[in-house]
Amino acid sequence: MPDLLHWEDFEPGQVIELGERTLTEAEIVEFAREWDPQYFHVDPEAAKRSPYGGLIASGWHTGVVWMRMYADRVLNRAAGLGGGGLHEIRWHVPTRPGDRLRGLALVVETAPTSRTPNRGKFMFRGELRNQRDELAMQLSGMGFLRRRHPAT
Amino acid sequence: MTQELHWEDFVPGARSELGERTLTRDEIVAFAAEWDPQPFHLDEAAAAEGPFGELAASGWQTYTVWARMFVDGVLNRAAAMGGPGMEDLRLLKPVRPGDRLRGVLEILETWPSSKRDDRGTVFFEGRLLDDADEVVMTMRGRVFIRRRG
Repeated sequence: MPDLLHWEDFEPGQVIELGERTLTEAEIVEFAREWDPQYFHVDPEAAKRSPYGGLIASGWHTGVVWMRMYADRVLNRAAGLGGGGLHEIRWHVPTRPGDRLRGLALVVETAPTSRTPNRGKFMFRGELRNQRDELAMQLSGMGFLRRRHPAT
Repeated sequence: MTQELHWEDFVPGARSELGERTLTRDEIVAFAAEWDPQPFHLDEAAAAEGPFGELAASGWQTYTVWARMFVDGVLNRAAAMGGPGMEDLRLLKPVRPGDRLRGVLEILETWPSSKRDDRGTVFFEGRLLDDADEVVMTMRGRVFIRRRG
């Protein structure tokens, strides 16, 4: 059983591949019906008359797609202690049905925490890129991980 | 679906209530199983050992709960044209099954588009409060809304 990832295993500049996922029209509509029912996310016919020219995924959908990849590949393999939110999330190029999204997590910085010797923090950036290597979604935030060697 | 609200109707300082929603345990687990499968969002026993001490909703679900309220209460009544994203997303208290969440919208600033004279930007803060009237989630964002004139 491989050891869980700890704070010391993350290095600034590290790029972690998170895998790929293709969103279908049905998935885009199903997510948006529940969480973001604007017409250009739920109605393919009406979406053709929108500024986007066709159905596009909710920005939130791209966010949770990344989060699922990140939880599977990083958080559930790490001695994580959660985080407190996100610095920002930006939706760039719209995601359309059939787009293949590749997830990335980039470790921007790591730092000890000031008052808790057995945990450290890290700043990360997340990206989803489509099959044309265009940036579909970008986010940034901070997380906490257990230290293998507590600070003295 | 009417689109009676235009950019001019959004006034800095205005605050509005967006309604309420209570998440059930099954909704919390179903959302987390699909989008944020960390053990403390899925199972009471694991959650007892986790950072919150009890089962809590994914932070992403609190964002989308508010987003849904915003679409129903505002965006789908407005000539809305999407937006670039959100900033300063904060999770201040864990959301547990049965917590009643109240959505609030505050308009922070509005400005006309520098590139397109048919639209403007609305910069807002969204919050979810619990029954103790404490903020569980807050975030800021921008949307583009068509101008009336």
